[in-house]
Amino acid sequence: MSHLPALVDGFLTTLALVALSFTGAFALGLVVVVLRVGPLRVLRFAGTAYVEAFQNVPLLVWLVLFVFGLPEVGVRFPLFATAVVVISLYEAAYVAEALRSGVNTVAHGQGEAARALGLTFGQSLRHVVVPQAARRVVQPLGNIGIALTMNTSLAAVAGVVELTASANRVNLVEALPIPLFVGAGLCYALLAAGIGGLAGVLERRLAT
Amino acid sequence: MFDPPGPRGRRRSRIATTAVVLVALALVAIAVRRFDAAGQLDPAKWRPFLTWPVWRYLLTGLGATALAAGAVFLLASVAGLGLAFGRMSRFSWPFRAYIEVVRTIPVLLLIYVVLFVLPGYGLDLPLFWKLVLPLAVSHAAQFAEVFRAGVLAVDRGQAEAGASLGLTSAQTMRHVVLPQAVRHVLPSLVSQTVGLVKDTALGYVVSYLELLQSGRVLANFTHLLIQTFLVVALVYLVVNGSLSKLARHLEARSARSAR
Amino acid sequence: MRWTTLSVVVLLLVTGCSGGESSVPGGTPSAIDQLVAKAPVAANVPEGSTMARIKERGELLIGGSLDAPLLSLQNPGTGELTGFDADLGKLLAKYLIGEPRTKLVTSTSETREPLLANGTVDVILQTYTITPQRAERVAFAGPYYESGQTVAVRRGTTGIAKPADLAGRKVVVGANTPAIAAVKAAAPTAELVEFGSDPECLTALRQGRGEAYVQDQALLIADASQDNELEIVGEPFTKDPYGIGIKHGDEQFKQFVNDWLREIQKSGLWQDVWRNSIGTVVSGPPPSPPAIGSAQGS
Repeated sequence: MSHLPALVDGFLTTLALVALSFTGAFALGLVVVVLRVGPLRVLRFAGTAYVEAFQNVPLLVWLVLFVFGLPEVGVRFPLFATAVVVISLYEAAYVAEALRSGVNTVAHGQGEAARALGLTFGQSLRHVVVPQAARRVVQPLGNIGIALTMNTSLAAVAGVVELTASANRVNLVEALPIPLFVGAGLCYALLAAGIGGLAGVLERRLAT
Repeated sequence: MFDPPGPRGRRRSRIATTAVVLVALALVAIAVRRFDAAGQLDPAKWRPFLTWPVWRYLLTGLGATALAAGAVFLLASVAGLGLAFGRMSRFSWPFRAYIEVVRTIPVLLLIYVVLFVLPGYGLDLPLFWKLVLPLAVSHAAQFAEVFRAGVLAVDRGQAEAGASLGLTSAQTMRHVVLPQAVRHVLPSLVSQTVGLVKDTALGYVVSYLELLQSGRVLANFTHLLIQTFLVVALVYLVVNGSLSKLARHLEARSARSAR
Repeated sequence: MRWTTLSVVVLLLVTGCSGGESSVPGGTPSAIDQLVAKAPVAANVPEGSTMARIKERGELLIGGSLDAPLLSLQNPGTGELTGFDADLGKLLAKYLIGEPRTKLVTSTSETREPLLANGTVDVILQTYTITPQRAERVAFAGPYYESGQTVAVRRGTTGIAKPADLAGRKVVVGANTPAIAAVKAAAPTAELVEFGSDPECLTALRQGRGEAYVQDQALLIADASQDNELEIVGEPFTKDPYGIGIKHGDEQFKQFVNDWLREIQKSGLWQDVWRNSIGTVVSGPPPSPPAIGSAQGS
């Protein structure tokens, strides 16, 4: 089919969106969870407000507000970058919650014991809490990764021509929606399965 | 993980707090001024949102969202619980297969199946169920994983204690393990529920007019893109925020009663 | 809890106020009622045909949009659907059933062909351009309207006087509109930036995401009337025939709809519908309706 290059382009764009957004979401989520369990109350409040705001409003609304609203405030990024930033910001809220759940399942006594041993806040996190929490958070993080993959299709709102938008463009010409969109759906499913498989492997590795 | 701060620590955190708050306020002020300069705070642009017909339209969409979300929640949480137990039982593989497969299929694809494929087999469901059924199928798998994580996080000693008290495994599950499991994963459950409410926005595919689509139609009617979406964002914040708040309230109550 | 109470109070305050509606171009509902009163009803509905089935159901199921200004737009205040496509749908329903009873099923460019194929909708009335490739999967009645893509720019933009000038520039287009193919044909090196709706495209143009916006002329005229920074450059450079989508292979239904189209074109009703919708922004007399079957694929 003559449209294959366009579809492959779309798939590669989706891949880029997934990879970049997940990295951004993870990094940002780490920062937010540290804010939320840290000592400064205003930072805890900021972290909570951030998570509440981004979790409660649909991604589509955030995308429209960032893509079309930010320039009104004088901030204008390229469209692809904006999409990555918004998706990262959005998923980071979920990452932060997953990490916080993981930290919470580590028994309270561990943190106190670390303090009693004289470790600072940073050291207790790094050497005591995180290693124990890590295994528990792999599965939720995998779920977030899958959700993120599906959500990248919304980047079309920002004008980014990813897989779904490419399929749409081809459908406009060929009028073959079922094979096109089932095919696109399978690509997303493949990506999601890959992420799920990776999470499973990681979980087993950390179980020892 | 950290000691309560002493006098010097308190002074330092007070300075840091003031600094952060000042910087944040300054940024917000700059943003608002720029927004105004771009003409977006012009009263004419906001007047439609003071009229009842506009709010009636949005609230009708919200009602539709709530209805669909409620139905999906009921179906998916019950099914998810069943799936989780099935997964942890002896015949785990069909449940595991279902969960793994459904988790990786995009919900949109499931909706397409219900929309396009089923009518061919004579199964033409009403619009509402064309949205709720695929969402429930998808979210049941996700709920199952959340429940399973919760049950696994409960200390094994709890189950053993239940057994040593003479409770059957079913009773242990119901009275000892499950309440603790649910409390453990309450944040995840709340996330799931909020995510479920947002997923109802896929209603546009099956022509189910919910809040987000109502917002889009409104934005196209009034040509007020940013204002409409800001208002819609606010409505979602209030609704979903209240949901989270309710859940946190319940969590605090159950934690207190468990003591 | 305080938060929720506050929101409830605000909502109550808001419901106390009522106000006017925004001035949006388009016809008034009462005008369409007059047109419907004049509309013809089919004299002969063959037994066992698609038309008989629709008549028995008592409702015409139309695949269309709720958010297409001038063509099929829902008024949030009244719930009424106005626009060229919407009005034609009502007239077709009256022709089939005797009353303008329609039910709109919102369809997207991804779902409309399958919805038509599995019978969830009877017709597609959604600025559905007739193309030979589409004609292999969908039957088209009409064309019932010829739209033209036009170039628009921000006031003060230089260097764009005709479509070929778009070469090498960033051009804003609506997703799933004929503009994509049109710009590709007129200026293959232009870089297309797609957005989902007209307000989004306009905002994008205003914010410099593109140097020009290519869209249907009627829509641009309506937009320009509300925004004096928008400047339309030249005349339409394409001819996009819109057709009524019908299930593939249903020749009988297609003939029926074509007969109806011919009738309302002859009686002047088509022109009245045009005046009530697109004609509210485009000055001048109604265009002559395109000849039935004149588009390749119809």
